[in-house]
Amino acid sequence: MSTASRTAWRHLPALLVAVGFVAPLVFMVTGSLRQAGLPPPRSPELLPSPVAFGNYPRAFELVDIPRYTLNSLVVVAAAVPLTVLCASWAGFAMSRLPRRSAGALVAVSLVALMVPLTALLVSRFAMFRILRLTDTWWPLIAPSLMGTSPFYVLLFYWSFRRLPAELFEACRLEGMRPLAVWRRVAMPLVRPVAVAVAVFAFVDTWSNFLDPLVYLFDERKFTVPLGLRALSTLDPNNYPLFLAGAVTATAPVIGALLYVQRFFLQEFRGSGWLGR
Amino acid sequence: MIRDRERRDLAVMLAPYLVGLAALVVVPGAVTFALSLFDYDLIRPATFAGLDNFRELARDAVFRTSLRNSLHFVLFAVPVRLAGAVTLALLLHRRFRGVGAYRTAAYLPTVVPDVAYALLWLWLFNPLYGPLNLTLGALGLPQPPWFTGLGATQAAVIIMSVFQLGEGFLVALATRQEIPGELYELISVEGAGPWATFRRITLPLMAPTLALLAARDVIFSFQATFVPALIVTGGGPPPYATTYLPLFIYTNGFQYLRYGYAAAATVCMILVTAYIVLLQYRMVRRWRESFVV
Repeated sequence: MSTASRTAWRHLPALLVAVGFVAPLVFMVTGSLRQAGLPPPRSPELLPSPVAFGNYPRAFELVDIPRYTLNSLVVVAAAVPLTVLCASWAGFAMSRLPRRSAGALVAVSLVALMVPLTALLVSRFAMFRILRLTDTWWPLIAPSLMGTSPFYVLLFYWSFRRLPAELFEACRLEGMRPLAVWRRVAMPLVRPVAVAVAVFAFVDTWSNFLDPLVYLFDERKFTVPLGLRALSTLDPNNYPLFLAGAVTATAPVIGALLYVQRFFLQEFRGSGWLGR
Repeated sequence: MIRDRERRDLAVMLAPYLVGLAALVVVPGAVTFALSLFDYDLIRPATFAGLDNFRELARDAVFRTSLRNSLHFVLFAVPVRLAGAVTLALLLHRRFRGVGAYRTAAYLPTVVPDVAYALLWLWLFNPLYGPLNLTLGALGLPQPPWFTGLGATQAAVIIMSVFQLGEGFLVALATRQEIPGELYELISVEGAGPWATFRRITLPLMAPTLALLAARDVIFSFQATFVPALIVTGGGPPPYATTYLPLFIYTNGFQYLRYGYAAAATVCMILVTAYIVLLQYRMVRRWRESFVV
């Protein structure tokens, strides 16, 4: 086989798959640009005619998306740094513990990772209600104590364990405390992991729907996903309108993914968290 | 003492994680089991009800339907998602120009916020305006009655979940990249074709991870149906066609304020999940034993 046709064989299926996965998102954008109230088109249209940008200002008018965005950003601003701090602390401490205790903590983390959120929802709600924390943002921020997901703790643990043991031995001989080692030596060495965890914590917190749905009642405290749901229930048949809202809610996380994809999806092994 | 100081530092660093795990996973988990034995509406004090909640569940037709729906979902969605993740990983594990872009494209739908994702599919599946049926129509293919037929509505929820397989894809990709290339060289010397290579090297070496991935997917399947059922299909249509366990729990707990009853349904969900995972584990073990012999 010639090189050219081999390249084509490699690209063609990959390209088809990529198009398949991107298509829904493309339809989300083009759907949001349809003029409301038009009859259904006869054939699939790549770009609606006329292109109507009016759905965006209209969506912002009907529900207070700017306020919800601000609320989401406040929650994110609290949850993301706390996640990175708690997850990297726990991961670092685990990597310094004797093998057996570390193994036990890994096992506990894996079990915790397996528990579905819906199984804890009812009792978490009862708990936060007893603490009088319902209808505040605290229940949305609280999971960052456990690194948003135990998986992020494990990710830090694995990355710290890959660092050479002599390095930590040297720090210890210098008389550095673990907190100082974490801050001055370990964290700078795992920066890509820290960035990736921060971005994933952002995506998780920004997209979180179940928690706000259960804990928030006051409309002024809503986050973006709740606002989006409110928008879709206003007029369930006005597709262009709520698609405009969906695009607004999705754009930040797509941007975030495009920013971090080089750490874990790119072709160069050895630089990312999956590499060696 | 240096050692004491070290230990104190490590304790401080572990503390938030352990407190978080205890307060948000261990205690609520235990409370769920306890609550399932009570009648509780958050207003009046809880009263002990013994196994009454479970007896009522056994008679509740809606519960039985939602349990069956959830099992159907797991039965179809998990194998498809797993196969999809492996296929993508095998397709995109090599290093070639632009592979990063393809991988990113496959991962994109996974990060779309749940509500936005649900609304997107509400649009895609729309029988009149939706791009999906328009495309099928343009190709001369049948246009399924999404949101009116029982099977089509359940299939719609499964299709939605298949596009969000990014995490499984990532894990499968990492696992595939761990397999040493020498093994493939050896088997190609033997003259094995692609299918034999897959069956004798790739699959067995990826199997442990895939088993773990399957278990995780089963657990999350019970959860993944919540937002689509709430927003896209509203639990129907036809009535209760897409009422899955999480929606049942949510409705009973947070709309009917029957927290004890909802907790009892949660306990059933946990037990069913554990049972399926156990079955899977047995199947994988038997398969591996047959392979070694």
